[in-house]
Amino acid sequence: MNIYKYASPAMFYPIAGKMIPWFSTAAAILFAVGMFVGFFIAPPDFQQGEAYRIIFIHVPAAWMGMFLYVLMAIYAGIGWAFNARLSSMMASSLAITGAMFTAISLVTGAFWGKPTWGTWWVWDARMTSTLILMFLYIGFISLQAAIDDPRKADRAGAVLALVGVINVPIIYFSVNWWNTLHQGATIRILQKPTIRGSMLAALLIMLAACWLYSVAVVLMRLRCIILEREQNAARFAEVGV
Amino acid sequence: MNWPDLSMGGYGFYIWGSYAFSLIAIVWELVSLSQRRKALAQQQRQSSDTVSAPVLRGSANETTS
Repeated sequence: MNIYKYASPAMFYPIAGKMIPWFSTAAAILFAVGMFVGFFIAPPDFQQGEAYRIIFIHVPAAWMGMFLYVLMAIYAGIGWAFNARLSSMMASSLAITGAMFTAISLVTGAFWGKPTWGTWWVWDARMTSTLILMFLYIGFISLQAAIDDPRKADRAGAVLALVGVINVPIIYFSVNWWNTLHQGATIRILQKPTIRGSMLAALLIMLAACWLYSVAVVLMRLRCIILEREQNAARFAEVGV
Repeated sequence: MNWPDLSMGGYGFYIWGSYAFSLIAIVWELVSLSQRRKALAQQQRQSSDTVSAPVLRGSANETTS
């Protein structure tokens, strides 16, 4: 069996269709469980009271915004380097979901900042770099929309995505590199997290839900993109344009 | 089971505002996606009147699945 045949959009289309219901169902269940644990089981924070409950959506959304950007850059890069059109289509599909999560992280961050810091926005290193991430997503989406030839649009997008990927480690480490207003990381890979078990559980369940949601939505959009692009190609081939 | 206090110790506006915005963003994404799918399906029906049914490259007609 040749596994590379699944890199063909036409082969991948029905597989994606079979995966979508599983991911969307799992995402819906985990969103419900995560919200339940976050609001009914996790206790109020001893410093921030109830306001901290915003983190159950803020932190997963911020992570997804960064992670989907890296994924988008990788797919765009592969699509560019190996002329793999399914990979470029995946990058285009990821961009919108990534932009949506970044928007959620910025807005929920403002909703958290107002009662906690007394301001909706400050030009703090982490917030500024996250805003740049939002602009990179918007730039990628509008650049692709502005170029008619899809493969040229893919190449231009790939250059932008790959150059912009430098911003992601800047966001991630900004709280360590600069003395920021934004608080430091709550969950570190090698150390004990600084929050209680039920709070951590709610956060991780919401993160898993955002993950599954992203897979489902990105695959749905990928199927649209495959149809939009490949169908035209097929029709042009048929009528001899 | 205790229903959480909706005022959230005075933070209600900020907490529910955050979750409301997130919900709106997610619903917006899902609605715009379903519109894109519908537009595509309609376009497919129209184009099949003029040109013979579109066929994806490299396989049997997958557009119906």
